[in-house]
Amino acid sequence: MAEISLREVSFRHGKGTPYEICALDKITLDIAPGVITGIIGHTGSGKSTLVELFNGILKPAEGRVLIDGEDIWAKPKEIRKVRFRVGLVMQYPESQLFEETIRQDIAFGPKNMGLSDKEIERRVVEAARFVGLDEELLEKSPFDLSGGQKRRAAIAGIIAMRPDVLVLDEPAAGLDPVGRESIFANIVEYKEKTGSTVVIVSHSMEDMARYCDRVVVMSGGKMIMNGSRDEVFSQSASLEGAGLDIPQITKLMTLLRDRGIDVDQSIYTSEKAYEEIMKLFAKKG
Amino acid sequence: MKNIALGQYYPAKSPIHRLDPRIKVILAILYIICATFLGKNIVSFGLLLVSALALIVMGRIPLRTVLRGIVPVLFVMAFAALFQVFGRSGEMLIFEWRFIHIYGEGLFAALFMIIRIFALIVGTSMFLTYTTTPIELTDAIEDLLSPLKKLKVPVHDFAMMMTLALRFIPTLVEETEKIMTAQKARGADFSSGSLVKRAKALIPVLIPLIVSAIRHAVELAVAMECRCYHGDGKRTRMTVRRCRVWDFVALVIMIAFGAALVYFNILGIGYSL
Repeated sequence: MAEISLREVSFRHGKGTPYEICALDKITLDIAPGVITGIIGHTGSGKSTLVELFNGILKPAEGRVLIDGEDIWAKPKEIRKVRFRVGLVMQYPESQLFEETIRQDIAFGPKNMGLSDKEIERRVVEAARFVGLDEELLEKSPFDLSGGQKRRAAIAGIIAMRPDVLVLDEPAAGLDPVGRESIFANIVEYKEKTGSTVVIVSHSMEDMARYCDRVVVMSGGKMIMNGSRDEVFSQSASLEGAGLDIPQITKLMTLLRDRGIDVDQSIYTSEKAYEEIMKLFAKKG
Repeated sequence: MKNIALGQYYPAKSPIHRLDPRIKVILAILYIICATFLGKNIVSFGLLLVSALALIVMGRIPLRTVLRGIVPVLFVMAFAALFQVFGRSGEMLIFEWRFIHIYGEGLFAALFMIIRIFALIVGTSMFLTYTTTPIELTDAIEDLLSPLKKLKVPVHDFAMMMTLALRFIPTLVEETEKIMTAQKARGADFSSGSLVKRAKALIPVLIPLIVSAIRHAVELAVAMECRCYHGDGKRTRMTVRRCRVWDFVALVIMIAFGAALVYFNILGIGYSL
C-alpha cells in the first residue's frame, strides 16, 4: 500500500513554444490507499496528464509529487524505481505488446526490475490469473489474440511488476459490454486480493458509479471535486456543469424530483433506485 | 520528438504563399540554377545575397525561423569555406606562416561559397517548404510530371504514395511517443547504457510501431477500395488550379534576375572567380 500525494502541481504542454497550454493548474490531491479512486473528466480535462505525473513519465512544472511522503523527483536518476511502484496501464495498452509470446511480453516489466527467472515465472503466471488469461494462451503470439485478450495481456504486463499502486487509463475503452464488465470485475478482484491502491481513469459515469470508492472530477485542467462516491454523485448539477454525463438512473431521480416526487437525488445505482421507489409505493400503501 | 523538422510550413499571408505551387516549383528550380551556376563575381554574388534576403522579407517568415533552418548546415558551410581559404592559391598573398598560405582569392571564394549555400537553402525553403504545404507540393509535382504519363510512367500513383506518406508522419510520431511512454512505464530505459544497449532498448518500440504502420496501411487500402479508388482512372481534382497574372509576373521577374546575373558576369566588374 502506498499513498500518492500531489502538492500544488502544475503542468504545461509544449513549454517554451507558442502552442504552450496549461494542462494542469495547481492540483493538490491525495490518493487514498487501499481503495479504488476514479478520475473522471471530459476529453482534454487533463485526466491522462494527471496519471502520467503519478509514475514520473511527466515531470511537473511546479509543485511536488509524493509517494509515502517522499518527492519522486528528489533523485531523478532513480525515477525507474517509481515506475515499478506505480504501475501505469496506458490507454489502448495492447499497442505495447511486442514479444514473440504473451509469456515473454508479460515478463518484460519484471525483467527490467532485475528479478530472477524463477520469480519472473511466478509473477507471470500470477498476473495472467488475475486478468483471467488461460495458461495455454501464454505460449501464443500477441498478434494471434482477440482484442479483449490483448488488452488483458497488456494489463497483466503491469500487474506482474506487483506495483503498490495500479493506475489504469480507460481500461475498458473500445470493449463490448461483456468485456467491460469482466475487466472491471478482474480489477476489483485484484484490489480485494492484494490490497493495492487502484486508480481508474474514465469518462463513463456509469463505470465510476459501479466500481469506484472515491471520485475525483477534473475539468479544464483543474480539480473541481474530490470526495467519496456519494458526495460527488449528490452534486449532479456541478457534474453536468463540467460537461459530464450523470448516470442515467440519477437523471431519472432528478426528473422525479422535478415532478414533485420526494426522492433521494444522490442515487446512482439501479438497485438503490429500486429500493427508493419501492419505499414510495409502500408509503402510499 | 515534436520538433522533428518535417513539413515546416509556416502559415502566413504573403505574395509567395499566394503563388501557384507549380510555379513555385519552377521558380525554385530556376533559383537553384541561378545560385549554382550564375554567380561569378562580387556584383552577381551581391545580387544573390540581396535576392535571398528579399525572398525572406516577401515570404513574411520571421528571420529567426529561417536562421534556425540554416543551423544544421552551418557545419557544411564552415567546412566548405575553410577548404576554400586554405586550399585555393592565387596571386594576392595575404598571410604566410610555414606551410599555410592564405590568398585573397581564397577569402573571396570562401565568401562566395557561403553566399551560394545560403541562397540555395533560402531559395528552396522560401519557395517550397515554408510557403507551400506538403500536399500542395505533391499536387504540383504530379502536374509538372504529368507529360511523363504518355510514357506510361505511373505519375499519379507516385504522387498518391507521397501524399499518403506525408499524411502519416504526424500519426506515426504520435504513436511512437505513446509506445515509448508505455514501455517506459514498464521500466524500459532508453537514455542510458552503451550504444548497443540503447539500440536493443528500441526493439520494444519498433515492433509495435511497424505492426501499427502495417495495420494503418491495410485499413487505408480497404477504405480506399470501398470508395472504388482506382489509380489509373481519369480523375478530377477537388480544387482546380489556374495560374494568375501574378504567377506569370513572378516567372518573368525570376528570368530577368537570371539575365541580370549573366549580364553582370559578362561586364566583369570587380573580382571574379
